[in-house]
Amino acid sequence: MSFIQLDRVSASFQGQKVLGPLSLTVAPGERVALVGKSGAGKSTLIKLAFDRAREQASTSLIPQDLGLVGALPVFHNVFMGRLDQHRSWYSAVTLFRPFQRDRTEISALLSQLGMAHKQWAPVASLSGGQRQRTAIARAMYQRSETLLADEPVSALDGPLANEVMALLRERFSTSLIALHDVTLALRYCDRVVGIADGAVVLDQPTTKLSEHDLLPLY
Amino acid sequence: MLIPLLRRLLLSLSLVLAPVSMVTADTFVFTAIPDEDETKLIERFQGVADYLSQQLSVDVRYIPVKSYAAAVSAFRNDQVQLAWFGGLSGVQARRLVPGSLALAQGEEDQAFETYFIAHRSTGIEPGTELPQSLRGRTFTFGSKGSTSGRLMPEFFLREQFGEAPESIFSRVGFSGNHTRTLRLVEAGTFEVGALNFKVWEKELADGNVDTSQVQVIWKTPGYPDYQWTVRGDVDERFGTGFTDRLRTALLNLDDPALLASFPRSAFIPASNADYESIRAVAEAIGILE
Amino acid sequence: MPLPATVRVSLLFLVIAIVALAFSDVAITASNPWRDLGRFFLGMLTPDFFSYEGLATALVRTLAFAFVGVGLGSVCGFGLALLYRWRAVRLCSAFVRAIHELFWALIFLQFFGFHPLTGVLAIAIPYTGIFAKVYSEILDDVNPQAAHLLPRGSGTLVSYLYARLPQCWAQIRTYTLYRLECGLRSSAILGFVGLPTLGYYLEASFSQGQYSEAGAMLLLFYALIATIPVWVRRFTLPLYLAAAPFLLGEGFAIRWGNVERFFTEDIVPAPLRNGDGWSGLQDWLADVMVNQAIPGIWNTLVLTQLSLVATGMLALVTFPLISRHFGGPIRRGSGHIFLVVMRSTPEYVLAYILLQLWGPSMLPAAVALALHNGGIIGHLLGRHSSHIGLRSDAPIGLNRYTYELVPRLYRSFLALLFYRWEIIMRETAILGILGIYTLGFYVDSAIQNIQFDRALVLIVLTALLNIGVDKLSRVIRRRLALQTLPTC
Repeated sequence: MSFIQLDRVSASFQGQKVLGPLSLTVAPGERVALVGKSGAGKSTLIKLAFDRAREQASTSLIPQDLGLVGALPVFHNVFMGRLDQHRSWYSAVTLFRPFQRDRTEISALLSQLGMAHKQWAPVASLSGGQRQRTAIARAMYQRSETLLADEPVSALDGPLANEVMALLRERFSTSLIALHDVTLALRYCDRVVGIADGAVVLDQPTTKLSEHDLLPLY
Repeated sequence: MLIPLLRRLLLSLSLVLAPVSMVTADTFVFTAIPDEDETKLIERFQGVADYLSQQLSVDVRYIPVKSYAAAVSAFRNDQVQLAWFGGLSGVQARRLVPGSLALAQGEEDQAFETYFIAHRSTGIEPGTELPQSLRGRTFTFGSKGSTSGRLMPEFFLREQFGEAPESIFSRVGFSGNHTRTLRLVEAGTFEVGALNFKVWEKELADGNVDTSQVQVIWKTPGYPDYQWTVRGDVDERFGTGFTDRLRTALLNLDDPALLASFPRSAFIPASNADYESIRAVAEAIGILE
Repeated sequence: MPLPATVRVSLLFLVIAIVALAFSDVAITASNPWRDLGRFFLGMLTPDFFSYEGLATALVRTLAFAFVGVGLGSVCGFGLALLYRWRAVRLCSAFVRAIHELFWALIFLQFFGFHPLTGVLAIAIPYTGIFAKVYSEILDDVNPQAAHLLPRGSGTLVSYLYARLPQCWAQIRTYTLYRLECGLRSSAILGFVGLPTLGYYLEASFSQGQYSEAGAMLLLFYALIATIPVWVRRFTLPLYLAAAPFLLGEGFAIRWGNVERFFTEDIVPAPLRNGDGWSGLQDWLADVMVNQAIPGIWNTLVLTQLSLVATGMLALVTFPLISRHFGGPIRRGSGHIFLVVMRSTPEYVLAYILLQLWGPSMLPAAVALALHNGGIIGHLLGRHSSHIGLRSDAPIGLNRYTYELVPRLYRSFLALLFYRWEIIMRETAILGILGIYTLGFYVDSAIQNIQFDRALVLIVLTALLNIGVDKLSRVIRRRLALQTLPTC
């Protein structure tokens, strides 16, 4: 069964059609990059895809606005990725006093992202890049094999963006990631889907594409 | 169905508040209608509490209340067992608590009076009946539940004018108590008022009335008023014969200072039947249904 | 030039108020009102803090009732806020908050008597209704994204704890603290009906003309409210909440027979109780409506509309007192003190004082309502105006006021005013207890005559009137697209 199977879907906002009708299939084991101008409908597509995908299996999502809880520390925002794995009392206690097991695991994960020193800082006090990495950590911490992400590294500088993309590729076997950086798209994904005006205008394996082919999309 | 549920809910709530100390069950508690200023009431009734405690060998406590109705409710709810009521509040209380008894009244309460007083600026002079010149004036009663401050003056006003007070006067107020009525008319806030004659005389004797500002313009005929009323179930709680001992103690109260604080010359026996006329008036006016 | 909708609505309300003024009873009947007012201010300047041994106790009781009542109300209100999408819960909360604390106290006094539960419930019940509504609004406002992202199968409770509550916790805390201040005012005025709080002694002192005693109490009360941020801290609050139930004072044991009697006999309409049947009930209801309800409703409406417009005018006049666009720090500092005093004095106490000084009419009540509510709105507007950045060559003085500030603040001003419309009406009704012929007067009269059946009908009518005005105010605010945060 496919990870994502969208069949002639469409979406409108305030009476204005923003997406579709559009069809897209992502098979298990595929890592797909979604490229296109801002406003082309990438975010809407990611949202739609997430709602479908989570019906079938646990799916991680990194939305563009990150969906973090500013008043809680980084640790708890990451921990939220596995709230379904614990009993209510366990999660409730963790809110006040986290268990050692979870501390070790989350702190290891945060070190990978260069965020270990911020583990107990409230998210509201972080910079944009740090917040983005918190959302990434939450997605990685979640027990899922699949990832949907909307510009997950837009606030990270070059080397860090590459590192994080490599981590995501390693962690998730299947993914659909909206990216505006074509270099990253070509380097870390197997297939590129181009969107313009709410429709698919390009769908090719990465191996057959060069950066030059993608330029018309922008 | 709803009530047991409510009860359980409130019971658990009152357990939360359990640390609140309670007045113990063997304390004999009484109250009085707040017909005068607070400090005076507390002085007066603390003396009565001490006297009764000594005479009856039980703990006796006085609790002050803020309104006539609160005194009646406390009596009805058995939070107080004895009360110094006015004529009307006594009738109300005894109707609500079957078995309760009027025990004693002041010597003067057999023929109590209301004084109508007026500010000098009105030019109304004392007379033998309520003058027509009252029309269009501003007027204040005492408390809404008072006999001498509301019930009887309203009765005599209706008798004289054949109309409700609201249509006789341009403005009708309720001052709250007799002292307050006196102060308001004295200050000219209201042009005319009606109050308990005992309060007037006591304030006059104490030099607290500015007679250049206010004077009595009419005195009502006598009617029965204040009395001590006790619940019918006190014998069960405080021992057989408690009611009789209480009556005796009240009738024997002869401390001049204490009597002067009421002010009454002595207490004499009273019965429920003494207040039939008050009941009839209250029903006629529509205060009692 | 067509007038904007906000101005048209304002003019409409102004016209209504002018018509109301023609029907209202506005007068100063005291022969020498200024002498008494002078004595009162002299009393404030020469406060006597040591006249009552009971003063400290009264303050403790005032605090205790406020803490227990508001605490209970906030916990229950929070529970209801979670169920607020149920129509029954919404209706229930709307109904209980439409009945004023003093009315609740008068009801509970009839069967609990002077048990602390009377005061606690009188505050907790209406506050539960208010908290339920405001908390649910705050919770609804939370960005749902975080909750949406949680993996499927995270429990409802856990979702709340992690994804919703932390996002609005600061807001909930601020609002609850703000309500605590309101709770202190509510607790103080409960004394006027006999509970052992500040109002009890305030009433006694005032009615006896002991202005120095009364002044001391008022000053202490202002100090207490003004210093809330100092003595209510995250670490002290649990301490207060734990101690408060122990400090409510003594009371009489509750007799459940009294409770049962109240619900099964006292509030049953007299004709049904006496077996006069339905025709008797009709006559009885007609009597209540014609002689009590209709005059009461009429006077309540008249006074409400008058006070609403007076409140608005006062707020517009007073906000520059604390705005950073006018005057220096000294003038603003004294403006702050003035507005704190205005809004900290419960309108019930203000009305009581002015009635004593000026004699009974609608005037003292309208002035009291305008002073208190105008103080609150003026304070909020002044704070709001300080956030407005003006260009450096902006006009000064009156031109700055009329051209730069008022136009920018006018929508917030109307939003706040219409929000307080229902609150003003609730207070207007209750001021009747002091002798103005609004609904509260007739409720109090019925209770004084031990006619609880009538009192209950009138209280329910008062509640319905409040709910109606609340609805109307919502409609107007929605039409004009006005948004506001709750105030009390």
